[in-house]
Amino acid sequence: MDATLTSRGNWQSILGRYPFVPALIILIMLLVFNGMAEPNSLSFRSVNGLFKTYMALMFLAVAQTLVVSAADVDLSLGAILSLVNVTVVTTIGVFGDGPLAIVAACLVGVFVGFLCGLLNGFVVAGLNLQPIVATFATGVLFTGIALWVLPVAGMPVPSAYWRLYGGSVLGIPFIYYILAGLGLAIFLISRTTLMVKILAVGDDQQGAFQSGLPVTRIRISAYAYCGVFSAFAALCITGDTASGDPLVGNAMTLYSIAAVVLGGTALSGGKATLLGAAIGALTIGLINSLVFFVGTPSEWQNLVQGMSILVALMLGIFVSRRVEQ
Amino acid sequence: MRLKSLLLSAAILAFGASSGAAEEFTIGLSNGWVGSEWRTQMIEEAEEAAKKWAGKGDTIKVVVQSANVDVPGQIAHIRNFISQGVNAIIINPNSPTAFDPVFAQAKEAGILVVSTDAEVSSPDAVYIGINQKAWAEAGAEWLAKAIGGKGNVVAINGVAGHPANEMRASGYREVFANYPDIKIVNEVNANWDQAQGQQAMQNLLATYPDLAGVWVQDGMAAGAWRSIADAKRTSNIAATGEIRKDFIDLWVKEGLNSGASVNPPGVMASALNVAVFMLKGRELTKPATDGQYKNSMYLPIPFVNSDNVKSVATALDGKPGFYSYTQSLSIDEAEALFK
Repeated sequence: MDATLTSRGNWQSILGRYPFVPALIILIMLLVFNGMAEPNSLSFRSVNGLFKTYMALMFLAVAQTLVVSAADVDLSLGAILSLVNVTVVTTIGVFGDGPLAIVAACLVGVFVGFLCGLLNGFVVAGLNLQPIVATFATGVLFTGIALWVLPVAGMPVPSAYWRLYGGSVLGIPFIYYILAGLGLAIFLISRTTLMVKILAVGDDQQGAFQSGLPVTRIRISAYAYCGVFSAFAALCITGDTASGDPLVGNAMTLYSIAAVVLGGTALSGGKATLLGAAIGALTIGLINSLVFFVGTPSEWQNLVQGMSILVALMLGIFVSRRVEQ
Repeated sequence: MRLKSLLLSAAILAFGASSGAAEEFTIGLSNGWVGSEWRTQMIEEAEEAAKKWAGKGDTIKVVVQSANVDVPGQIAHIRNFISQGVNAIIINPNSPTAFDPVFAQAKEAGILVVSTDAEVSSPDAVYIGINQKAWAEAGAEWLAKAIGGKGNVVAINGVAGHPANEMRASGYREVFANYPDIKIVNEVNANWDQAQGQQAMQNLLATYPDLAGVWVQDGMAAGAWRSIADAKRTSNIAATGEIRKDFIDLWVKEGLNSGASVNPPGVMASALNVAVFMLKGRELTKPATDGQYKNSMYLPIPFVNSDNVKSVATALDGKPGFYSYTQSLSIDEAEALFK
């Protein structure tokens, strides 16, 4: 009896400190299953491919977590990604394709993402509109601007850009430098006072306001950071696709929310794990691959994918609840 | 799997590609959108086509990834196929440009990449399908003649910015520009959605009472025609149609003044048959160098008008209402394209 209590207590403290643990366990299970179904899927090259493909969704999931932590949501970040993607490729087209021009174009892209986030923050927190409706509307606006910037998909990116993204530096695939950068960003952001304030707002907005926190400003900051991280995601997409596409990100928005929840973040706000969200993004990718590798007939693939994501979600929630009781 | 394909390619090299020995290939099919029955039929016809190769003594195995995915999700399809070690990939792509790097990787792995239904910019892929611009031109030519070369027309398009949509739009615009008395009074987007097409047509009928012709794409045509019928204008409006059985039946029954360019779901089956000959090492008589990306091979585009609609209706007899009129290259027809 005592032993189980302590072990449950241990789990409780682990989950309290590392809420991403259930997501990590699910991820490892999925890796094992994938390896069993198709041994090649765990080869070095395939794992690199997994990161290359899902790095953008990992950044988007982290972006989404920032606003979800404040009990808000951003339905426009797929559109922000598209807008930044086309902005970067057209800017490169204008500046030429030297290394400096590429860096400048990336900076312009990140700035555009920041502005989009700022606008979202302004309409949601400043004008006090419903986040779901408001960011849906700004998303349509961003898509419209993206279509204006680049009406049809095209505009190749200089090969220096995408060869760097897909290639190696000092013998290590570049994607792992990005992964390390994302890891560092997650580590640092989790320790900022802003993150603590965002969580406080998400936990109890009224209480946060009464205790003197500038709630509106904090929510706007969360959206601005969300825009910046969506822009980082766009830089990854640009590297993996080597082109501009004004519609590339639209379908990614809902996946980012799924990744957030899979990672162990509560949509009600106040409890968040940035690392979990990044793990959640990989989980979605591995589920999709597994559904194929086990030989699901094509007409069932969508259904099985949806069900598997649901099961992974329930598993995570089930574990957390059991431990917390 | 990889070892097998390696041995296989070694065997092909050793025995020469033209030897008639039985061969075995695995072909991966990737479809990134399952929102319409057309796509389901496309996959089914390709699977059927693969089975028919048994009659020639070859074994063509298909593996399918078909689900609603975003662009990275479909890139993952390709990476999964590379991991599996398929011989060829046939893709109906979600983006024309986004697959360049991953197709390059597939080619490095010795995989033949074929896109169908939508052209791709990658120099490492071949497009086998219809020319979307010519598809639109055929419908526009029919419409221009049907309204006697004069009058106001409207266009109901799909998704703005979608490459097929833009190619189609440029197609009908060029055709109507040749008719000085035809005026395009409005062009709207109804996102390839039948209900939105119906709604758009209602608005257009209300705005332009003197409308002579409607150029409308795909399944939206059924919606548009419903609005035209509701407004009791079927006798004095000509509009393009579509190719699903439900609409063809209505067309015959009501004697509609319609014409439909056919984008057959059999394109993927055609692409598969051509791809198998490519895998066998055969060379195309006319290299695939058409189109804006210089990597395309265009298939013929059938046309349905009031002269042949009855025979089309007969061909579709017994099929479900959502089944599209289709055509594809048989194995022998595909072989005729090779040296």
